[in-house]
Amino acid sequence: MGNVLERNCVRLGGTPDGRPMVFAHGFGCDQEMWRFVVPEFEDDHRIVLFDHVGAGNSDLSAYDHATYNSLRGYAADVVAICRELELRDVVFVGHSVSAMIGVLALQEAPELFGALVMIGPSPRYVDDGDYVGGFSRTDIAGLLEALDANHLGWSRQMAPVIMGVPDHPEMAAELTNSFCRTDPDITRHFARVTFLSDNRADLASVHVPTLVLQCSQDVIAPEVVGRYVHEHIPGSTFTQLAATGHCPHLSAPEETAAAIRAFLPG
Amino acid sequence: MSVSTLRGAGGPDPDDVGRLDRLLEDDPADLYENAPMGYLSTVPDGRIVKVNRTFCEWIGRSADEVLGVRFQDLLSMGGRVYYETHLVPLLRMQGAVREIALDLVRVDGQPLSCLANAVEIRDDDGAPLLIRATVFEATARRRYERELLAAQQAAEESERRSLTLQMVVSDLAAAVSVEDVAAVIVERSREALQARGAALVLVEADPHDPEALPALRPVRSDGVPDDVLRELREAAGSRLAVELARGVRTIALTDQLRADRPALAAAMAAAQLSDLVVVPVSADGRRLGVLVLARGDVAGDLISLVEPGEGAELATASVNLLWTIGRQAGQALERARLHEQTARQAARASFLLEAARLLAEAADVAETVELVAGLVVDRLADLCVIDLETDEGLTRPAVRHRDPGLAHLVEELRSRHLPRRSATHPSVRALRGGGTEWIRAVDDDFLRSIAVDEEHLAAMRALDIAGVVAVPLTVEGRQLGVLTVATDRRRGPFTVADVEVAEQLALQLGLVVARAQRFDLAVRTSHALQRNLLPPAPPELEGLSIAVRYLAATRGVDVGGDFYDVVRLPGDEIGLAVGDVVGHDITAAATMGQLRSVYRALLADGPAPGAVVERLQAGWPLLGLRRMATALFASLDSATGRLRIASAGHPPPVLITGGRASFLPVPPSRMLGAPPSIADEWIGVLPEGATLVLFTDGLVESRSADIDEGFAALLHAASSAGTSDPGALCDHLLRELTGPHRADDIALLVLTRV
Repeated sequence: MGNVLERNCVRLGGTPDGRPMVFAHGFGCDQEMWRFVVPEFEDDHRIVLFDHVGAGNSDLSAYDHATYNSLRGYAADVVAICRELELRDVVFVGHSVSAMIGVLALQEAPELFGALVMIGPSPRYVDDGDYVGGFSRTDIAGLLEALDANHLGWSRQMAPVIMGVPDHPEMAAELTNSFCRTDPDITRHFARVTFLSDNRADLASVHVPTLVLQCSQDVIAPEVVGRYVHEHIPGSTFTQLAATGHCPHLSAPEETAAAIRAFLPG
Repeated sequence: MSVSTLRGAGGPDPDDVGRLDRLLEDDPADLYENAPMGYLSTVPDGRIVKVNRTFCEWIGRSADEVLGVRFQDLLSMGGRVYYETHLVPLLRMQGAVREIALDLVRVDGQPLSCLANAVEIRDDDGAPLLIRATVFEATARRRYERELLAAQQAAEESERRSLTLQMVVSDLAAAVSVEDVAAVIVERSREALQARGAALVLVEADPHDPEALPALRPVRSDGVPDDVLRELREAAGSRLAVELARGVRTIALTDQLRADRPALAAAMAAAQLSDLVVVPVSADGRRLGVLVLARGDVAGDLISLVEPGEGAELATASVNLLWTIGRQAGQALERARLHEQTARQAARASFLLEAARLLAEAADVAETVELVAGLVVDRLADLCVIDLETDEGLTRPAVRHRDPGLAHLVEELRSRHLPRRSATHPSVRALRGGGTEWIRAVDDDFLRSIAVDEEHLAAMRALDIAGVVAVPLTVEGRQLGVLTVATDRRRGPFTVADVEVAEQLALQLGLVVARAQRFDLAVRTSHALQRNLLPPAPPELEGLSIAVRYLAATRGVDVGGDFYDVVRLPGDEIGLAVGDVVGHDITAAATMGQLRSVYRALLADGPAPGAVVERLQAGWPLLGLRRMATALFASLDSATGRLRIASAGHPPPVLITGGRASFLPVPPSRMLGAPPSIADEWIGVLPEGATLVLFTDGLVESRSADIDEGFAALLHAASSAGTSDPGALCDHLLRELTGPHRADDIALLVLTRV
């Protein structure tokens, strides 16, 4: 298990004896997404950042279609990281799909977690009968096509350069769209697993204080979905943000951090 | 290059130059509005605050309609997600993005493929103020890229298919049995189609009943739930063979199917299958069966991209691949069947050879049927019953089950002889009709119809009998009995080949039983003859105590020519004789009878024992006796104990006096049947209390092949007997010197002078 930290490119910061906060990025990017929010918590929390396997600077060779054919594969990694670092009473902050990964990690190892922050969560993106997820199957097919269209610019020769220079951002800056890039096959598969999962039934299993952060005008996780999550997690807190879009931690880091801060005790 | 340089070249008309100058002194507003690209600015949340005419024209909306709208809201759904998950983070983190492929949605709903570049304008603290974006129409380029992608995917697909086919062909080359072929086809086709499961179902016509509906037998099923397969067979029924001709078919779980075949639809729904693909398996136009592929959501637990109720279309290339796999499978199946047929023939030949070997070794009818029954349950069936016609009527000498643990059930069958009056019983029918009776599918009605009573019925039910074959044992047109074999449901039904083997076995068994019955008859006849030739019991004689024993050989038809005789002569004299005619058959027994008669006739003249030997030797050719013999003749005066003994090549008698045993040194002369010679006598007195033992060589050859050891053992047994009672002594000697098996007859005569 020693290589879990390398495999998931785990980076530690903040106050070593503070309450641990584990930040999990969503589909499409990597741990860099948290750069504007993390400083708000460094003074009194132990900060744990990581990349999901297949994203950012994680070990791409560890990616296995079978393991990551379900969000549970990602949840198991979260648990492994927490165990490796011997974390307790973790505040898990998950964006988008990682909010649901947090739910599954809690199921697997409830003893590790003390609070859950879900930013733009959706337990199921595809509409199903009376349930509104916001997407039709055709929409998802269109998304997969959009991913394919943008991967045409992907060059395999560039991959090692991109992956190999995390400590030299000036080199990476030379490359166009250098963030959030990864192997097309992995991206496509992650997209499928993200947008075609149905974890509605898992919501009820959450028994830690939970915050649902809902953006305005979020096309990916509309308010009705956020409300659904809130209603199905017993005792959860629902906070509507003024921030628009799907990435409030990028577009409105202060508001986002403040909402989280207000939720956390002390 | 500047305009002045152009002017310096001196070529162009000054008026033209003036026009060019005017054109190049661009009105920045015009340049912005009518640039050959879309141009727009948004605030950080995406709301458009400035847009050029080119962009507006492309999407078919006026600037007023566009201003204030979020840029992402003008995108296709896929584009919006990409915008949120990729474009926004990239802009925030690296300040610019280039060549992002997006689809704008025009006012008429048509997509417009574009490439977008964007930069984020930030304030001094790095906070975003504005996003400037340029948009290039890229319809042709995107079409080209899509075609390229499609071509690449098609090439990969094609490579994958040809690889699949290669693997199928190479795996099939190594497949020997039908099961091997099925394993290859099921695994490979399932892989190729990424199906949830696959199964190979073969059509099996009944060679004995071409009119019957062909049976559908699943040879291998992997991941196709049993009930789906069963419902498919039900639904297809007898028409399956016809359906097969139609090529690769897809049965999708649709409302239509729910209405037409509710059971099949329910089974598919329960297994979360979206459709079944049915592929014909054929060889040279013969339809052998079908390959069934069960497809569901390939994404496992993920939501299917296919709308519920819509079957996913099977690509033409996949149809062609499956069709080819079906034909490859058909040819491989034919090959495997041929191979299995050859192997079965070899196994059959070996079985019958083994049976012949066992039958040749069997000594009698009882052993023969036991051996056959044992062989049958070892190699051919689960249960074997043999009924034989005998003098006592129909007997059931053998009932055997493969599983010794079921002996109690088998005993139920053994104890119930074939019910002669039950005309429905296959064994009775076989016995009466003289032909094979084959019950292919045994059901409870059938069992009830042949049961003798409730216990019998219960036993047959418990044995779980699935198929029965009864073959009469017919020899020269006569039914000697019936061989009945049965399988249980675990082993499955008999095949035509099994029935042929049973018939061959019955033929062999019939011949052996016939021979053995004749043999048994001959044995019984010889022993009866021999018993009749020997005197019933020795006469009561004063002063003498006499016991005789006669033991026939135990193996085969060996009938001895041994004899003894005790006869009262005039005065106090008695005549004693023990002899052994060469050979073990009826001729030997008959010769012995003749010899005893002639001996009795000779005694009328009162000859001495030596004279008896001489006369018999001399008369042997005249008497027409065909066998040689050894014998001892003696005369004893019961009052005085005077004893005279002559030997014709026979072992000497034993004298026991005072607990000590010794051979009397009787001088031997030639055997009876040898050229005549002088026969000397031993003459002496048998003391009171002494015992004389006369015997044939069976007594001393029984335990040991070495006759000297046999003689020594006899003396030891005789001296250690501790009794002078002739009967007790006889029993003691036989017990000490003979085992349960005797290769030769034994005649024993013991006489004690009291």
